[in-house]
Amino acid sequence: MKKQCYFSQHNIKFIDYKDTEILRKFLNPHGRILSRKRSGISARYQRQLAVAVKRARFMGLLPYVAS
Amino acid sequence: MLISCYIISNRGQFFEAESREDPSSRATGRKQYMEENNIDDRLAVYEIGYLVAGSVAEEKVSDEAEKVKGIITKAGATIIADEMPHLEHLAYTMRVKTVSGSYEKYDKAYFGWVKFEVSSSVVEAVKKSVELMPSVLRMILLSTTKENTYLGKRASQIAVAIMPKRAFEPVAIAGAGVGAITEAAKDVAPATIEEMDKSIDAMVREVK
Repeated sequence: MKKQCYFSQHNIKFIDYKDTEILRKFLNPHGRILSRKRSGISARYQRQLAVAVKRARFMGLLPYVAS
Repeated sequence: MLISCYIISNRGQFFEAESREDPSSRATGRKQYMEENNIDDRLAVYEIGYLVAGSVAEEKVSDEAEKVKGIITKAGATIIADEMPHLEHLAYTMRVKTVSGSYEKYDKAYFGWVKFEVSSSVVEAVKKSVELMPSVLRMILLSTTKENTYLGKRASQIAVAIMPKRAFEPVAIAGAGVGAITEAAKDVAPATIEEMDKSIDAMVREVK
């Protein structure tokens, strides 16, 4: 069965870099962003997610590499 | 720069148009056009997220936040929303070069943000002056929208700060007292869902 986009389901229109709780759902244990195949989110939100994660990493809210 | 293009006249004839244009002339042309037509730089909504060094005493962090807000308001900006810096354990150690040439390492920092509306021509100057603050470890400037403000964990605190004060003022009723309020409430018919929706929309419009 096809997975539904998390952000469309929860009516989230804008992914904020400060919302680390949500962003962490789409990172693997090493802190890398999950691929669309695994995250199941739409292309539009995957692009927004990537930008938000990169901003959060720069501000030290998320790790670049997690052990 | 050589620009050549074909122009098709209304009779179907082809003309090759060529013009030699200096790249810098486009920018000056835009500026001249804006000056001639009295057009100001457009207002846009931005957000600054900043980290105040963890070495700053907790009592002084609010002063640093006020300084950041001062820089922003000095540039003629209107503040839409903000959050006071709070201590965060950084995901990795940040290194900052000091004036003496040595490095200072930080594992903790105070993270705060300000959302504001300002003319696009002055935002670079605002960014530079916030960056140059000695207590600011790192900052990020984003172009954003008025809506979709993330309130997150501290939603209740920020919402109180953003909402107009009059929304929280108690309604004064003639013949004040608890009994008077309950008596007045008896006469008022219970609001329908449509009425409530309308009033919520009106409140949202006010906040915007």
